[in-house]
Amino acid sequence: MFFHIVLERNMQLHPRFFGRNLKENLVSKLMKDVEGTCSGRHGFVVAITGIDTIGKGLIRDGTGFVTFPVKYQCVVFRPFKGEILEAVVTLVNKMGFFAEAGPVQIFVSKHLIPDDMEFQAGDMPNYTTSDGSVKIQKECEVRLKIIGTRVDATAIFCVGTIKDDFLGVINDPAAA
Amino acid sequence: MEKSGPVQKAVVLQPFVKLVRLVARAFYDDYTTKSDNQQKSARSDNRGIAAVVLDALARRQWVREEDLAKDLQLHAKQLRKIIRLFEEEKLIMRDHRKETAKGAKMYSAAVAATTDGRAEDKVKLHTHSYCCLDYAQICDVVRFRLHRMKKRLKDELEDKNTVQEYGCPNCQRKYNALDALRLISMVDDSFHCENCNGELVVECNKLTSEEVVDGDDNARRRRRENLKNMLQKLEVQMKPLMDQLNRVKDLPIPEFGSFLAWEARAAMAARENGDLNPNDPLRSQGGYGSTPMPFLGETKVEVNLGDGNEDVKSKGGDSSLKVLPPWMIKEGMNLTEEQRGEMRQEAKVDGGAGAAAKLSDDKKSAIGNGDEKDLKDEYLKAYYAELMKQQELAARRNQQESAGEPTSGIQSGTVYSGRQVSMKAKREEDEDEDEEEVEWEEKAPVTANGNYKVDLNVEAEASGGEEEEEEDDVDWEEG
Ligand SMILES: [Zn+2]
Repeated sequence: MFFHIVLERNMQLHPRFFGRNLKENLVSKLMKDVEGTCSGRHGFVVAITGIDTIGKGLIRDGTGFVTFPVKYQCVVFRPFKGEILEAVVTLVNKMGFFAEAGPVQIFVSKHLIPDDMEFQAGDMPNYTTSDGSVKIQKECEVRLKIIGTRVDATAIFCVGTIKDDFLGVINDPAAA
Repeated sequence: MEKSGPVQKAVVLQPFVKLVRLVARAFYDDYTTKSDNQQKSARSDNRGIAAVVLDALARRQWVREEDLAKDLQLHAKQLRKIIRLFEEEKLIMRDHRKETAKGAKMYSAAVAATTDGRAEDKVKLHTHSYCCLDYAQICDVVRFRLHRMKKRLKDELEDKNTVQEYGCPNCQRKYNALDALRLISMVDDSFHCENCNGELVVECNKLTSEEVVDGDDNARRRRRENLKNMLQKLEVQMKPLMDQLNRVKDLPIPEFGSFLAWEARAAMAARENGDLNPNDPLRSQGGYGSTPMPFLGETKVEVNLGDGNEDVKSKGGDSSLKVLPPWMIKEGMNLTEEQRGEMRQEAKVDGGAGAAAKLSDDKKSAIGNGDEKDLKDEYLKAYYAELMKQQELAARRNQQESAGEPTSGIQSGTVYSGRQVSMKAKREEDEDEDEEEVEWEEKAPVTANGNYKVDLNVEAEASGGEEEEEEDDVDWEEG
């Protein structure tokens, strides 16, 4: 799920960035530092949408670095158990398949793939129904439900299922 | 019930009512309006109340919630709480409306047409809520509910939404699917142990396998047994409900439409029914008795007007034949042809008397007593003779007219048109009529007026009453 939230971060800026463009430098460094990272608490920071306040800088003793407390608005993406996501299949093996929904990686184990889909090894390993009408392989788009998340300090990993109503392949660019 | 009639004929309500009753007992039996900490004494235990309300709703179509509360002897607030629950559960349709006098009247009429006629006279002018079972939705909701119940148990039983576990056959280390990213090997398809690089195996059917003995697994096996039991119980206990659902599946579903549509239809049906055929079999369809509506003024008026017209014709015929008595006719008078004709006849028959009559009329006092008496006798004789002739003539004319001879002479033609004119004129201004004519002319308009007046009074009373209640009824506000 996506959220628009306000976060705070203490930015350390090298003295060479001080000057007329201090603020711009600060913001661009913030973007570079924060966008694309993942925190267990808030999920993936997708984009910074605005700066609320930049507090008074504090000069660190000895180094000359200055720490600025910055409050910024950003869009974060945080997957939850039970959430339905659309994802692109990245890897298929006999244990199941991996898929990506933006920054999140999801593993769907074999027993959470419908029983009528069989694993087919080969150049393009895939799961296929007996009549061949549905095929899950690399680059497929699937709709899946998250049944478990592992949230580390810096990463989120999900386990999903496609063994439920309205889940499964929604688009197969290879077949088209 | 002309429009709804055929629909209701095809739709059998009974199986759906049974379904609702089953649902009430299956899902809402222990519902209580009291919160848990309130529910201590046995007296305040009102479990089963939801089933009572659902049963009551199954006996009705659209019903004003206030009326329902009254019928069930429930507090309106309490009932609203239950109704709101059913609304959330998608069992009923609700409609809220700021009541106008007309609306309340329409509803009362509709109620009278569809239930046993207890249309309350009370008219409220505040927000009223109406509710009605939504049978189509009930079927869907119940089916879905049963499906979800079963699915949830089955999913848990089959570990459907559990994270797959893997074990290393070498070092017995356990992993699960959430570790998948770390376990994946670039060499082959399978997962490998982080510790010994052994190929991991899927740990499935662990729960049912016999050799597992550790405590944790025992607990899980017990839980599994519980799930199985629950699923079995569910199948058994919900069987009547499922059977009823299947029975109802292919039947046409009773639809009462939106509240406004239902109300309009019912009111219309009541009007038609009450007038045309009080024993209409359609009205007893589905067990809804009905009473005729007091809306029938219009037709009665028409019937009475028809009677009045006949009166006007027969009596008006007499009146237009009225001729001036000979003693009133003077020279230079502007007489109709009819009257002239009579004059001529009169003159022929009894010219002298006519002349005498002329004189007598104007100069009575100048003529002597004896003469006067003679003249009077003479005149009366002549007058009656003339009158007889006139009536004979009239009779003959009427016969000719009815025999269908349009060219029966100037006289009949004039008579006819004169009659029409007088009739029309009199009807148009029935208030200021000549005194002699009041007797016969007023009959029709009076009856007509009477009925109209009754109708007006009803309206007036209704609107008057409603204004009164507008002031003192504040308690049914939505709150
Ligand atoms: Zn190992």
